[in-house]
Amino acid sequence: MSVSEFITPASLDDALSIKKERGTEARVIAGGTDLILRMRDNVLSPSLLLDLRRTSLDRIDCSDNGLKLGALVSLSQLLESCDIEQKYPALRAACCEFAGPPVRNRATVGGNVVNASPAADLVPPLIAYDADVVLRSLGAERVLPLVEFFTGPGQSVIEPDEILTGIRLPPPPAQSAATFIKLGQRRSMAISQVNLATRLAVDERSVISEARIVLGAVAPVPMRAIAAEAILTDDELSDETLCAAASKAREEAMPISDVRASRAYRLEMTEVLVRRALFATRARLSGKTTDG
Amino acid sequence: MAEMDIKLEVNGRQQQASAQSDQTLLYLLRDKLGLTGTKDGCASGDCGACVVMLDGKPVNSCLVLAPQAEGSSVVTIEGLAKDGELHPVQRYFGESWAFQCGFCSPGMLISCYALIESNDNPTREEILAAIAGNYCRCTGYQGVVKAVQQAAAELRAAREGGTGA
Repeated sequence: MSVSEFITPASLDDALSIKKERGTEARVIAGGTDLILRMRDNVLSPSLLLDLRRTSLDRIDCSDNGLKLGALVSLSQLLESCDIEQKYPALRAACCEFAGPPVRNRATVGGNVVNASPAADLVPPLIAYDADVVLRSLGAERVLPLVEFFTGPGQSVIEPDEILTGIRLPPPPAQSAATFIKLGQRRSMAISQVNLATRLAVDERSVISEARIVLGAVAPVPMRAIAAEAILTDDELSDETLCAAASKAREEAMPISDVRASRAYRLEMTEVLVRRALFATRARLSGKTTDG
Repeated sequence: MAEMDIKLEVNGRQQQASAQSDQTLLYLLRDKLGLTGTKDGCASGDCGACVVMLDGKPVNSCLVLAPQAEGSSVVTIEGLAKDGELHPVQRYFGESWAFQCGFCSPGMLISCYALIESNDNPTREEILAAIAGNYCRCTGYQGVVKAVQQAAAELRAAREGGTGA
């Protein structure tokens, strides 16, 4: 790797000015845990690095309006947040199984998203919670659903003059629960073979009013299993319905075979793990209804 | 290639060294400051041999660029002993045979040190979680767990023993 310039802008606007001028030549460095490796392997060769640590993007703001995560919030910060533990447990679950402590102390939520890895662990729970992504350029901001951000492995809709500054999640509905499951070759330090998140909301008659099934590492981008979600919506939480949705999710997945798992194994695991996640989500929902 | 002057605090001392903007903190510590206790293992954030404390938290120094550490405070394995006395976790590593070849020990010790600094009564599960990013490929982890528990017990006893000492 050969980076010729390293700049730590004093403000986000300073960083955006440089991005406007230099475009893709300038690359933002947050935690660097992924970027440094990709630069060393010559997958990415930015000539200028922009270190955003003076830009105050490392804040977690939770209110009745939802959750705002600055792009520089680290995985460790997410893990230590009581708000996330209580309101967004599937996101916390993904953090628990993310690499190991030394990586979590550096890796950031913005980095995990902007790298656009199909196997990014934070992305399925974020999409399951209907996250939006905030993209800033000098004098402009656009907000779009995270599920629309990715266009291919390592590819996204981000423009050369834009910086991903944060993630926003709406408050979760009252009667709702979510689950994250990761399958890797070991519990720590593993890139997912399959990762996924499910979220269900029910109405007062215990009919499913909203369903999210978000699959990672089984398609070029993290994806919602829309047809499987449709099977769940407006139906009851019966074993048959949940199993039918899991089976449909398998049909929607389009994995490849690679060094971590074969296509056939990933398909099989998609069905098994979606079923498990839906059953676990139902158990959490009923736990909530009897408690509350 | 830009050569940058990096100022940072290492083991309580202000240091200054020049590094290229794409060289790592690990390189700076070993090759510029001569602190070769920190090991260069996989160089990709998997093995944990290069773990150091950066602003109070354990990190993989192979995944931090030197200019990212500008103005920071670093503690390496060389900084754990105080006044010639090993830190309890170091001493118990020896007594409990928590290492064999020793290559993983500097990073492993920093992760264990970070744990007991924040939690002086860790469970076995908490210890295993704290060293999930540190690989030992020869003697295993049982000795490490035992050493951390012994060191934590000694630290607790010292704290509970009052301020008289």
